[in-house]
Amino acid sequence: MNTAQLEARQVSKIFGVLPVLRCIDLRVNRGEGALIVGRNGSGKSTLMRILAGLSRPSSGQALLFGEPAHSLGPQQRCRISLVSHRSFLYPRLTARENLEFYARLYRVTDYQYVVEKLLDRVGLGSFADEPVFAFSRGMEQRLTIARSMMTEPEVLVMDEPFAALDAEGIDIAAELVRDALQRGCAVVMTAHDPHQLRHLAFISYSLENGRLVMAHFGSDSEGRKPRPAAAG
Amino acid sequence: MSSFATILHKDLRLELRGGQSTITLNILSLLILTVLTFALDAPSRSSLLAAGALWVAMIFAGLAGATQAMVSEWENECIRCLLLSPADRGAIYAAKLVASFIFMTVAQITSLFLMVFFFDLNFDMRIVRLAPVLMMGAMGFASLTTLLAAIQAQIKTGELLLPLLTVPVFIPALISGVKATQAALAGLPFAGFAQWLKILGACDLLFLAGGYLLFEQVVSED
Repeated sequence: MNTAQLEARQVSKIFGVLPVLRCIDLRVNRGEGALIVGRNGSGKSTLMRILAGLSRPSSGQALLFGEPAHSLGPQQRCRISLVSHRSFLYPRLTARENLEFYARLYRVTDYQYVVEKLLDRVGLGSFADEPVFAFSRGMEQRLTIARSMMTEPEVLVMDEPFAALDAEGIDIAAELVRDALQRGCAVVMTAHDPHQLRHLAFISYSLENGRLVMAHFGSDSEGRKPRPAAAG
Repeated sequence: MSSFATILHKDLRLELRGGQSTITLNILSLLILTVLTFALDAPSRSSLLAAGALWVAMIFAGLAGATQAMVSEWENECIRCLLLSPADRGAIYAAKLVASFIFMTVAQITSLFLMVFFFDLNFDMRIVRLAPVLMMGAMGFASLTTLLAAIQAQIKTGELLLPLLTVPVFIPALISGVKATQAALAGLPFAGFAQWLKILGACDLLFLAGGYLLFEQVVSED
């Protein structure tokens, strides 16, 4: 049986006495994308943090490459990337310095070329030497997406990556995600507006009352059909 | 370049650009030493008082400035990305600790010059003998505050946590440091204050080991 790149098995999360996630099952294989939509406070970000291995579930298991997500070794951690609500960027470093810092940390070979290419790709080539604190929210988000793509991850966890992006930014980000999918990357993404992702063939889910249910927003029309096994 | 060197290089670059730690440390040290100089009766100024003033300046300035390397990681939650990266948690802690140590050492050099000036001391071998005492003090203080700053950053209403925890925990090291500084300034040979240096060294080891072992637990989410 093919091991899923990313898997949630009966994942629940309780904060104090408040259950946020209830028995979530999700499986994303190589080259597949899953879109999770939900209202504010529905638990999307909590689920993303658990799937990325930053937070532990109260019960159940989150697996990356078949191993518990929160206890991955350094080699496995190289294979995942997270886009969160927060940019993970240092405001007083320039765009180039931020990317080069993470590239060195991830031991990206020929990182200067990679950084240059990505900055151009997200339309920030001419702002490469500007400090991030001078960036608009949209520019910061473009840089965040560039950072997440730099290591060519095998699993991409993206929490509302298109927030604050303009139409051009959304197209650029969607193109980068599509490239990642074609490379075989497993992508799981949250969004408020599923129509922003109409060009991506994602399996859609909705997070309602802490449970993951299948959803259809029209975004699947160009791609695959939802897999019934994945609903929690 | 190793993860340790990469993170330390970034922290030093940030400091060179903004100077948040070293400027805060130096200005506070100057302020504290100035106040103490004028508060203390001029004729009674001595190496005993100078030692106390130096350590008071180090502790209070350090509380405000030495933790910037750690605090900066919580801006935009960069620490989460570091934890997801292949960097070893120990390397992250070590880089933050060394950055704080460097910032404190810079401030201590300034404080030392100010102390000599304000307390009418001479630049001689006594000041050279102070170097290991101050470096060990800075190392212990940096290793303790790096860990406690990480705890403070995790707690949304934890602004008071750092001074409330740091000062009591650091007291054994503080007493040893003051005593060793007094002895060095009084012109005693190393053997005269070796016992205080041993206690200071033991405190440093304890803070270092505690910081290294607890850091991952502290920065991880539930």
